[in-house]
Amino acid sequence: MRGQRPTPRTPRTRVRGATIAAFVALAPLLPAAAVALGTLKVDAALPYVCTLPSGGQPVTVRISAAFPERADVGEEIVPTDVTTTVELPAAALADLTALKAATVRPETRLAVGVAQGEQRAEATWSGTGQPVAVPAEGPLVLTTTGDVPSLTTDTAGELTLTAGGFTVDLALSTADGAATDPASLSVACVPGQDAEGRTVLARVPVGAEATPTAPATPPASPSSPSSSAAPSPSAPVTGLPLPSFSTGRPDRTVPARPGTPDGTAGGTPEGPRVGPLEEGDPADGETPATPPPRPDAPDCITRKPTPASLSAYVTGYSNVRKLNGAAFLPPFCMLIEQGDMIMNPSPPPDEFQFSNLSPAKLYDKGRTRTPPFTSTFLAFGFQPVRATMVLEQAGPISVHTFVRTVFPAFDSYLTNTVRAPLVLHVLEADVNGVKLDVGRSCRTTTPLTSREPDPATYPGDHMVLLGLGMMKFGQEAEGYILTGGGPLTGEVTIPAFKGCGANGESLDRLFTAAISGPGNHVKQIQGQTCGVLTPPDPLNPKCTDDGQPYVVPEAER
Amino acid sequence: MQKTLRNLAVVAGGASAAFALAVSPASAVASTVWTVTPSPANFSAVNSGNIVLTVNGLAMTCTKSTAGGTMQSATGNPATVGSITSMAFGASGAPCTSVLGPVSAVPTLPWAVKVFDYTAATGVSKGYIDNVDATVSVGACTFRVTGKASGTYTNSSGTLAVNSTAGELTVVSASGCGTAVPVGAKPTFKGNYLVKVTGTTTIPKIVGSNP
Repeated sequence: MRGQRPTPRTPRTRVRGATIAAFVALAPLLPAAAVALGTLKVDAALPYVCTLPSGGQPVTVRISAAFPERADVGEEIVPTDVTTTVELPAAALADLTALKAATVRPETRLAVGVAQGEQRAEATWSGTGQPVAVPAEGPLVLTTTGDVPSLTTDTAGELTLTAGGFTVDLALSTADGAATDPASLSVACVPGQDAEGRTVLARVPVGAEATPTAPATPPASPSSPSSSAAPSPSAPVTGLPLPSFSTGRPDRTVPARPGTPDGTAGGTPEGPRVGPLEEGDPADGETPATPPPRPDAPDCITRKPTPASLSAYVTGYSNVRKLNGAAFLPPFCMLIEQGDMIMNPSPPPDEFQFSNLSPAKLYDKGRTRTPPFTSTFLAFGFQPVRATMVLEQAGPISVHTFVRTVFPAFDSYLTNTVRAPLVLHVLEADVNGVKLDVGRSCRTTTPLTSREPDPATYPGDHMVLLGLGMMKFGQEAEGYILTGGGPLTGEVTIPAFKGCGANGESLDRLFTAAISGPGNHVKQIQGQTCGVLTPPDPLNPKCTDDGQPYVVPEAER
Repeated sequence: MQKTLRNLAVVAGGASAAFALAVSPASAVASTVWTVTPSPANFSAVNSGNIVLTVNGLAMTCTKSTAGGTMQSATGNPATVGSITSMAFGASGAPCTSVLGPVSAVPTLPWAVKVFDYTAATGVSKGYIDNVDATVSVGACTFRVTGKASGTYTNSSGTLAVNSTAGELTVVSASGCGTAVPVGAKPTFKGNYLVKVTGTTTIPKIVGSNP
């Protein structure tokens, strides 16, 4: 499982509902599985990050399974000997001992993405394990086994199985055998950054014409046809390219349809399907569509995520009133640590209130600033000026969220206030096509400022953006919501410039005269946040595989 | 917080009083034989109206939700006449929402559909969804809800009306939610689903009897 190329950014999760439902109907009609020519053993140790009550912890998840070396079109592919071992580090034991847990009984669920060309499906590999005593000192090793869904496809081509989100549920018991309070702990895990490119579990060629692409690293040799030997650590085939998501073409999961009465799948080839473990009929209402690829956007990676880590892209326009124009800020990254929600102990009558204060920072390749952006204006109404600038963070950014729920209607209203001390730094400028040497330190003397509604609590120079949201009870939320994004607006004053110019020629007064002043309207659109360590949403992915925001907003005027 | 709880209690108390006035006496003889038609059958359900999960006054609304599973005749009281093996809250492009942000609710299945009372005159079965277990995430706030949710099933319309009462569901773990969603909070789950035999327009029927 080494040497994979970097995993393309993909939605972190897939959906499967309709495909499963269709398979249920089709399964009895499918021919019995042919005898596999050989067996492909998989044994992968993957780094995950698991969300424990005390925070994120690096965890190793070992997955072993056996697959047929290849399969025919329509042939059922049954992964066998599936064993999952999770090694919780010593630091995680405190979370268990805090609950007075003496033994734990694990149940695991591993999301396995199944891909064939552009077709997608998802399987859940569930496993159960025997009770294990909580050791005095770590690590705690938990092993589960279980039957997993079979796979089938009516299309020739290589089938790729990729490990995704992993959850381990721990049933906890005290030393005297009683259940703890709470009686269980559910630990959600996502592949760690080090897992990038290593999560492909197996590639199974399907169909006579299926010819595996030459792997980047030597593929493992399948074991002999009848071999039931122990798993080989190097067995899984690796190195084949994952489906590309950078073509701009929608990546869709095509729902499978019930087979025709003669036992064959009707209509167009439908790609991979995940079979049931047992008779049952899941809903067919889940949407099979996989969201389109994410638009290009700068890196937005939270290096040391905590359970409260959120990240989001922001983009928009900032007017420069004196220049009668607007600067477009392309999507930039904001990293947020969501603050605890604190209830107001003394709200007004018939109201429920809470607030949270979330620190944030800009992120651009390790710097706390926006990426450079270039705008063109007409200075003094006639002189074309093109400037490349960045907004640099001069202090902590905060997002204050205040929520009111009003009884008896239970309607909720929220006010979000973003406070950001940002200095405008002019990197380059040209006037009428002639480059102006602005020097290396052409900045506003102080951060951009706004009228601060609560200067006693929030002193200092900073800009203030406001985002309002509301939600009528039982209806959808509207407006700006911290984790959902939305429009943030404000009005800023651009301070005077200093440090502009070179070779003894100061351009400070020129920039100040042309740009500085009050009344500059700002409208920024924040995208939905990515909860870096929160459980993935199978229907609406919030994060890419590598933990970056999936939603890149578009600027609005 | 005291005031909030008192307000909530007032609302719940009012509802209980109205409910008590409207409720008919329980059947003289409880049903022990439950005939599902067709049986066994796979069913699919789609929400009718919004589905709302409420915790501490915070509402999380899903405009789209689906469920599916199996139904079969059963005996006993309560009797398990159905198993929900798939459940989706929200849909691609239409997540559940809240004032805290888009909501992701991932159920741990299966859930059981249990019935305990049948009124022949109306064709309505009373029961509950048991083994409810879901992990709900809003931004960095993640909590797990377990328990059961009361509801009714109406044969004429195929409506599974979920209307849990306070105390049936409990937040058993929470992370990043502060005091807004503490462990031990009692969420409610309300909403209607229209049930059909999968792939058909047939509405399944549940009839209770005591032969």
